[in-house]
Amino acid sequence: MGEVIVITSGKGGVGKTTTTANIGIGLSNLGKKVIVIDTDLGLRNLDVVMGLENRIVYNIVDVIEGSCRLKQALIKDKRFPELYLLPSAQTKDKTSVSPEQMKKLIEDIREEFDFILLDCPAGIEQGFQNAIAGADRSIVVTTPEVSAIRDADRIIGLLEASGIRRNALLINRLRIDMVRRGDMMSVDDVTEILAVDLLGVIPDDEQVVIATNQGEPVVGEECLAGRAYMDICRRLTGEEIPIQDYSKPEGLLEKISSLFHRN
Amino acid sequence: MSVHSVSVAKERLKNLLISDRMQCTPEAADKLAGDLYHTVSKYMEIKREDFDITVTRTDIHIRYMGEKN
Repeated sequence: MGEVIVITSGKGGVGKTTTTANIGIGLSNLGKKVIVIDTDLGLRNLDVVMGLENRIVYNIVDVIEGSCRLKQALIKDKRFPELYLLPSAQTKDKTSVSPEQMKKLIEDIREEFDFILLDCPAGIEQGFQNAIAGADRSIVVTTPEVSAIRDADRIIGLLEASGIRRNALLINRLRIDMVRRGDMMSVDDVTEILAVDLLGVIPDDEQVVIATNQGEPVVGEECLAGRAYMDICRRLTGEEIPIQDYSKPEGLLEKISSLFHRN
Repeated sequence: MSVHSVSVAKERLKNLLISDRMQCTPEAADKLAGDLYHTVSKYMEIKREDFDITVTRTDIHIRYMGEKN
């Protein structure tokens, strides 16, 4: 039976959709059968980040309303082993789906997949309630900024109040140079303040922008963010992979050993 | 040397989280800590500087640094 993970943040623009796409693709490359679901009704984006925007016929609202079967709405990403996208609806609003309907949809499909990833909209209104309704656990995405961390804390409180206790933090866009000179909160600063498990850290990396421009993944690529996303995927499958400490300068030994670790 | 901006960020964030979690202003949070200290001091001999409260998302922890060795 599949594990249902909601990717959420509270604040917009911190990288929920990019994270959903890259974790989905990474898990698929690790041999898992994965479905990524865009729950942001009215602001459809996950398909664009994944480069699948030209293949949409039906969407999640069509499936829930019974206008089509799930199989008709699912888009199989042929570049990867077993990866499916259920796109959102661009012309509907948050109220066209209820939390109960989302829960039922997930119960209907969870037997068929190893991982079900839900890309949550920003905010704490109905879109958020819909996205978390069927989730077993969450990945809370934040950046090392006061506003994003504050929202993450609020979101974790709301998740706990809804009975979702397995909440793990993903710190995105960490600027290693700024952390070292004391102008950006470090991984330790953020985890100490939020007191929640850390799933991983994605260093700020222009390769993410370049890949997203082209609708391609960064996960698994030979760059900082690509390796960090892959580590997160391996952790989600149960592997124990230490989280890199980016606050200390990389020594010669680490540089040499990372040369040998490339595949 | 100028103060690194991280220390400012952490201080602001800590105050924000306390008021968010307790749904009140930082002043009200200080007042709660003062009132709790007052209540506890009726039953125990404690010093104000050894008394501290921490608010998490689900609990309020009262910490008291007892006798020091």
